Formats: sequence, structure tokens, C-alpha cells
Amino acid sequence: MSPLGLFKKTGGPGARRPAPGEDPVPTREELGRVPGADLGYRLDPWWWLVVAITGLVIALIVWRADPFLDIFLFVRDGVVVTIVLTLSSFGLILIVGLLGGLGRIARNPVVHFVASLYVEIVRGIPLLVQLIWWYFAAPVVIQAVGTALHISALAEYRANAILLAIIGLVVCYGAYMSEIFRAGILSIHRGQMEAARSLGMNYFQAMRYVILPQAMRVVLPPVGNEFIMLMKDTSLVSVVAVADLTRRGREFMAVHFNPIEVWTLVALLYLIMTLFSARFIAWLEKRRGVGSS
Amino acid sequence: MAEPIIHIENIHKSFGHIHALRGVSLDVEVGEVVVIFGPSGSGKSTLLRCINHLEVHESGLLVVHGIHLKGARDINAVRREVGMVFQSFNLFGHLTVMDNLTLAQWVVRKRPKAEARETALALLAKVGISEKADCYPSELSGGQQQRVAIARALAMNPSIMLFDEPTSALDPEMIKEVLDVMQTLAREGKTMVVVSHEMGFARAAASRCIFMDEGQIVEEGPPDRLFSAPEKERTRTFLSKVLQL
Repeated sequence: MSPLGLFKKTGGPGARRPAPGEDPVPTREELGRVPGADLGYRLDPWWWLVVAITGLVIALIVWRADPFLDIFLFVRDGVVVTIVLTLSSFGLILIVGLLGGLGRIARNPVVHFVASLYVEIVRGIPLLVQLIWWYFAAPVVIQAVGTALHISALAEYRANAILLAIIGLVVCYGAYMSEIFRAGILSIHRGQMEAARSLGMNYFQAMRYVILPQAMRVVLPPVGNEFIMLMKDTSLVSVVAVADLTRRGREFMAVHFNPIEVWTLVALLYLIMTLFSARFIAWLEKRRGVGSS
Repeated sequence: MAEPIIHIENIHKSFGHIHALRGVSLDVEVGEVVVIFGPSGSGKSTLLRCINHLEVHESGLLVVHGIHLKGARDINAVRREVGMVFQSFNLFGHLTVMDNLTLAQWVVRKRPKAEARETALALLAKVGISEKADCYPSELSGGQQQRVAIARALAMNPSIMLFDEPTSALDPEMIKEVLDVMQTLAREGKTMVVVSHEMGFARAAASRCIFMDEGQIVEEGPPDRLFSAPEKERTRTFLSKVLQL
């Protein structure tokens, strides 16, 4: 229930009970209810925070155009890079996480071992170190392999900063996502799998049509959490030559040297993006009935 | 005599240290209604789950519908012929009653959706809950859920129906509505293997009753004979406890 819902009462002390056979007179609340409101289409009250922060940023840009408008125009392509990086990595992370999660619960010992090894290794190394490795070390390895095998395409490989950053983020977050999916699948009662199998479905059909749709409802809150964390962690790619929001902020500051204004605006821009994402996730959760039985 | 539709010969099954089935042999003919009863832990549910290959027996012979379950290449071919009803219903919670009935029909049987819907509606009418087609399982009573579960299994046109304590999780006033549906199926000549302590149902519908204890079949026979004049001491002791209630 939304915090606003707490103050709503049905009928009220003076309400007359409808006589038997008589249609009950709709209360004010019932008349005001929009179809589908119970499914969460009522406006989430936390939207006010998104509106407030966005208003603050607009106010700063309009009334203190020097330096905020200049900063904003300079970093806006960084905002686009951050959003594109987040969305494209996240799509791949969901796929890797699903495969990793299925691998972790697989009966096949080889599949189980490979998936577990991946999770154990990756989550033990800091994300920043992984990103640096992919950008500085991986290209050298690729070139060495190319030289040794006489494959000129690999030997002349030049690092693509964005691509390697996406790989780094996907490999790292995929491991965490595997554990979330594993927990979600395991939370579904095994009777569901047995019922599906006893109807003649094979393992993958049962997963696809019975287990995963129910597991998705369970994992939506932690998956949403990962999305917001990923959005913030993309700022780490600024150290590996990706011109994201953080890096563009640093570039502006290096020229004009006004740290308070630059980093306040950069922080507020991240905040708008994460708050907006949080609202979107909350809306998805309500629509999918997370929290109701 | 025709080939039995289920042929079980000396099967064994253990879970760790627990030896759940110790050499069980049983033949079920087409059209028979077999009721298995016995104390908890006697292996009756395990036996039923082995027939559906939800548990894999360790040794012995298990032939269902002419297919040897051990090392069967396509276990789903067997499962398609065997419907299973569980104690805890196991309806798919994210789907409506209608979708619960049609899902496997088009995923497994590849029936067109309209035809699957028709089959589902006919079966819902048969179990007496046509009006609940668009409800979710959580909106139904236990008895209604179990009737939907029976309809869901029947939608695959199985030649054998297995019931694993179908009324044990139900409130007393809902037991009858489920047993009525099962009795109708028995009258229609469906081959059924039922694990249940509903002695009234056994008397009315069973062609054969089986008493199991400690992973073995102790005694079997037609219900009237078995209930009134059991030959074995263990059967007598158990029945005296159950029938007293």
C-alpha cells in the first residue's frame, strides 16, 4: 500500500448500511478509484523527489547559467554515454546472469563447476581492477595470441575503450546476477517443476513457462538494485578512456578549475538518473505484483 | 489376459540411509482402480513417484505403457501418458485456471490454442468449476484447486492417472467434492493408482487395495475382503487404527 493509502477510509462513521437487495451506494473513495489503481497505476509518491531534484538542476542552469549551463552543455554527451553504457551492459548482464544461474543449479557436474568457478573468481576481484585489466592487459594478450598464431586481425588489435568497458562490466555484474537468479529459481517450490515435468514438459519448457516467470517476480527487487548500482559503477570506466559523465566532468574541471560547481552538478545528474530508475523499478514491481501473494 | 499397463517387478529405491522401497512388485491392468494405503514412510508415495519417473528406482523392472523407464530415451513420452495429482495441488500460481489447463496442451501436445481452450472448458465443466476459468489459483479454495489440478492432468488425455494423497491437504468439507470427481473417473473406466487413506472411496471405487509397510507390499485384495478380513497381523493393526476414526 502506498503511504497515501493509509489515510483512506471506506464509508466513514456516518455511512448508512445498504438494505438487502439494494445496490450499495458507492463511497467517495470508490467513485474516485481509477480502474487498475490497485495494480499500481496510482502515482508513486516518491516521484516528488525526482521532480524536486530535476527542478533544482533546471533552476541552477537557468538562473546561474555561468557556470552551470556551460558545465551542462560540456558534460551532456557524457550523460548519453553513461546511459548507453548502463542499458547495453545491463541487457547482456541479464543474459549472462540467467545462464550463470542455471549453470549454478545444473546437475551436470561440468556445467556446475564452470559456472561456480566463474562466480567465485569474478566476485573476488574489485570491479576497478577488472576494468583496468580489460582495457590495458586484454589487448596485449590478444595481440600476443594473434602474433603467435599468425592471425593479423588479432595481432593488429587496437583497444576499443567502450567495448572493453562493456565486457568488463558484464563479466563482473554477470557473476552477481547469476547468484540472484540462482536464489530466485531455488525459491520456487519444487512441486512446480514436478507438476510441469509430470505434464510431459522437458526441463527447458518447464523453466521457460513455469519456473522463470515466477522467479522473475522474486528477483525483481534485487535485480532493480543491481541496475542502480551498475548505473553508478559505470563512473569507474572514466579511468579507462571512456568519455562518460564522470570523465567529462573531470575534463571540464581541468580547464576551468571550479570543483564545487562541476562535482555538484555531476552528482545531481547521477541522482536524477538513479532516482528515475528507482521509480521505474517500483512501478514494475507493483505491476508484477511483487509483495502480494 | 492383456498386457498390464503398469508392470513393476522387484524395484528398490533408497534415499541415503533410508531404504524406501524394498522389492515391490505390482501389475496394474487397464481400467483398474488401485488404492494404496499404509503408515507414513511406508514407501507408497515413492512407489507412485517412481511410476512417473519423478524418482528413479535403483534396481528392478518398471514398464509403463510398454516403455521401460530405466534408461528410457524419451521419458516425456511416458509422462505424457501418465497424469499426476499431488497432495499440495502444485497449480502454476502465475497463470489463470484456464492457462493452467492449456499450457501443457500447446507446449507438449502442440494443440492449437482454440482446441486447447475447448478441451479445458469441457474439463472444467466436468469437475464443476467452469465459472472459475479466469481466476488465479490463490483465489480458489483447496478443494477447487485440487479439482483444477485433476482437470489439468486430464487435459493431456493420459491413459493412467496417479493420485498422491489428493485429499490430505484439504479441509474436511472439501474432501467430498474431490472424491466425487475421482469416483466419476473410476466409473468411466480410467486406470487409476491412488495413494489415500479415504477408506470410503476405496470401498466404493477401488477394484483392488494394497497395504504397504516399510517399503513392501504386505497384503492386497478387493477392498471388501481386505477391510473386513485382513490376513496379516500388521494390516489388521493398521486398519483398526484407521477405521476407528
